[in-house]
Order: sequence, then structure tokens, then C-alpha cells
Amino acid sequence: MDEIRKEIRNIEKSAERLKSLAKDNNAIRKNAEIILTHLYILKFITPVWGEEDQ
Amino acid sequence: MEYWNPYTETLPREKLESIEFSYFKNLLSYAKSHSALYRDKLKGMEVGDIKTFDDIKKVPFTYKEELRKWQENVEPFPYGGLLGVDIKDVCTFRQTSGTTGKPVYVPESYESWQWRIESWCHILWMAGFRPRHRVFLPFGYNVYVAFWEAHYAAEKVGCEVIPGGALDTKGRVNKIIELKANAMTGTPTYCLNIAQEAMNMGIDPKSLGIERILGAGEPLPEATRRRIEDTYGCHMFDHIGSTETCGFAGMCEVKKGLHIIEPFFLIELLDRETLSKEVAEGEQGVIVITPLGRRSFPVLRFNTMDVAIKGPSNCDCGRTSRKLMEIVGRVDDIRKIRGVLFSPKTIEQLIRSEFPDIVEFEIVVTREDIMDEITLRIEATPKLGKDDIEDLTKRLKERAKIKTNLTCKVKVEPQGGLPRYDLKAKRFKDMREVK
Repeated sequence: MDEIRKEIRNIEKSAERLKSLAKDNNAIRKNAEIILTHLYILKFITPVWGEEDQ
Repeated sequence: MEYWNPYTETLPREKLESIEFSYFKNLLSYAKSHSALYRDKLKGMEVGDIKTFDDIKKVPFTYKEELRKWQENVEPFPYGGLLGVDIKDVCTFRQTSGTTGKPVYVPESYESWQWRIESWCHILWMAGFRPRHRVFLPFGYNVYVAFWEAHYAAEKVGCEVIPGGALDTKGRVNKIIELKANAMTGTPTYCLNIAQEAMNMGIDPKSLGIERILGAGEPLPEATRRRIEDTYGCHMFDHIGSTETCGFAGMCEVKKGLHIIEPFFLIELLDRETLSKEVAEGEQGVIVITPLGRRSFPVLRFNTMDVAIKGPSNCDCGRTSRKLMEIVGRVDDIRKIRGVLFSPKTIEQLIRSEFPDIVEFEIVVTREDIMDEITLRIEATPKLGKDDIEDLTKRLKERAKIKTNLTCKVKVEPQGGLPRYDLKAKRFKDMREVK
């Protein structure tokens, strides 16, 4: 599960960067935001216990 | 694969609880800073005040009436103080059915909607819905959430979805046959109506080829569940949810109770009298729900007024989530009639288990002078003759008396004389309040 969580963080960084690179392109920005939404779900379903903030 | 998410569905209890506790505090903090309702309601309370799992009980309940109040004349329209995100992030409008009063308008952001769907994927997967299934949804697609979740979740688990809106019941039977649908999600009574319509068309419902049905939108007493299984020759599953809280528990292949979808939801089952103590296994408790990851409409400790029997947290399916063994009914559905507590569910159980020739029914309570009267309005299958109807009426009166300790009148209605429902059925009418 640690490997999976690490990969989720990597994708998150890439998606954030994609979003910032595409400030003037609605289509790319929106699709990057959708990736980030699904990353929210991915983080929610791969929780770490005992941590204050996840 | 047996589980939708093998990781969370088999976590040890203490780990699940630790995660839910952590998620609860995150949501509390979020709600305080993003929702006008909770900014007001939790004035003076800080996340730091919640140090142990038991401290969660310090957070006051949220009631449906409050949700209504915070939408009346409160900006932004129409969600008012319940909105937890910027209004420009809302992508979908839903509303409650309004069965108990003014509907509550529910905003879903794309994120929250996806979160709901993910939760529902667990419900469908548990009920054995798989990519090989072609799922028919006999539902008037509209503002109610019930089957939209089923639709999108079925797509997500890989099923093929047939939207069965804008068709009458006969049209739906024909569409199931035409497209060889092999699974369905519907209100339990509408599933029975479809079967009845098929029989009226001279078609045995078993020949439709429906392998699995997931009930939605109304309670599914065990007798009704078995009746649907027998009628279609299929597996029938139940789940429970609401517009305010999402679908929060579902039935696995073992078919004994409903698994809470953890860690999506924190469910408390509280003693009916004090609403302060968690009940023990096998006892009845009021369901209090916190959807832990939905931010567009944050709801903390929503008191559903539904009563369920607490189940064990082990199951032959291997899931470690807690279970609700039986949904007993709504606190406000249980009425006192002639001094006796009466639950409409008792009549439904009776009819579905012992009277297969009754295709539809309605329970009406009236007051004649000072005496309360219960009338069971029934509609029987067309094949019954006059003598059969008389016998049916007599037996129903006798059995209802034994089951409820109350004398009920029985009124036989003509074919089609009672309403049919494809959403939440309203079979219990207490007309004493109307007067």
C-alpha cells in the first residue's frame, strides 16, 4: 500500500503542474482538475491509520 | 475478485475506527470553516475538543428540520447555509422526496458526486454486480438521487447500463426482453409491479433472465426480498441510504444484514430513549450518520430517525465492517392506535410472506368519532374468483389481528385501484392527523 500511496502523491504533483501549465486552456485545466478529484477519492480509499491529517 | 476494495473492506476494526475518527475530525474542521450551518452550530467548539472517539458525542445531532431551516431565505439560493463549497463548484442538483415535509435541496460538487458513486460501487459489488451484467434501471430520471447513484456506480464497476426512464411498465418489460437485461435496480414494490405486468402479458418473470436485483428507495422487509427472489428466480439484495447521507450500507452474498460502507461513513446506533449510548449487538438503535468525505454538503451526526438492529462486525464474507441486521422502521412511522403501538412494516411483512395473491395494498388509519380504525385496502390478482376473495379477506383479517393485536377492516379494490410507485411508496396513510 505504501507504493500505491507514493504513486498517488506523484500523480497529484503532476496533475497540479498540468493545471498550472494550462491556465489559458479550459479543456486541459478541467481535465487536470478531474484527475485531482479522483486523487481525492484515491487518497480517501487508501487511508493511513493513526495519523492526524490524511 | 470478491471485494471492491480488499484493502478497506478487510481492515481490522481498530484500524477502521482510528481512520473514521481521523476523518471525522477533518470533516468537523472543514464544516466549521465552510458551512454557515456548522459555523453557527459549532460555535465555541474546536476540533481539539474531540480527543477520543467518545468525544464525538459532544457534537450535537443534525436534524432534517434544521437543514430545511437553513435553506429558507438564506443565500446562496437554493442551498443556503448548507453549502460547503463555492456555488460555482456545484455540478448537480438533487432533492429529497419531501415525504416528511418541504424537500431539502442537496448540492453535489463533482468531487462529492464522485465520492458518493465510489461508496455506491461497494454496494453494487457486494450485491454481485459485475462487468458481465447489463443493468436495467426502471426509473423516471429526475431530481431524486436514488437511481442516479446506481446508474453512475454501475457504469463505474463496469456494467452496461440501460436507462429505463420515460417508459410505462409494459414498455419496461419489453425493453428488458429486447435487450436481454440480466440485472436490475429498483424499488422493491416496483420490481413486483414489473413482474405482475409481465404475468399480465403472459410472460413468466423467471423467463426474463434477471439474475440480480438491488432494492433501492424504500425498505425491503425479508418477506418481500424472498418474494422477489421467488418471483424472478434471482438474487435480491438490499441497501439503505438517503439523499442527505448517500447510500451507506449494503447487503453481501451472505444476505444477512447490511454492511456499513466503512470508512466512508461513521454510523452510530444509539439507544432510543437517551440517544446517548451505543446499543449492544442485537438491540435496536437510532441510526446517526456522518458521511466522512463529502464536502459540498457536509453533514455531521445526522439523526435519521430510522431504527435498526445492531449486527456483529464479522461476516462469513470476510468483511470487517459493522452490520445493521434489520431496519425496523422510522421512529415517526410507529403510531399508537387504540392504545397499541403499530408499525406498518408488520402488515407489509404479513402480506408479502403469507398472501402472494395480494399485488398491492395500502394501510389507512382514520378516526370515527373517538375510535381509531385501520383499513387495509388491497388489490388481488385478477385470477381470483368471488369465493377466493372472500376467503382471502377473512384470512387477512384474522392474521392481521394476531400480528398487530388490532382489528383491521379489509377493503378489496378493483384492478388498478391502488397507486403504483416507482419511487418511495406511500402505503401508510394516517388520516387522523389530516382531520
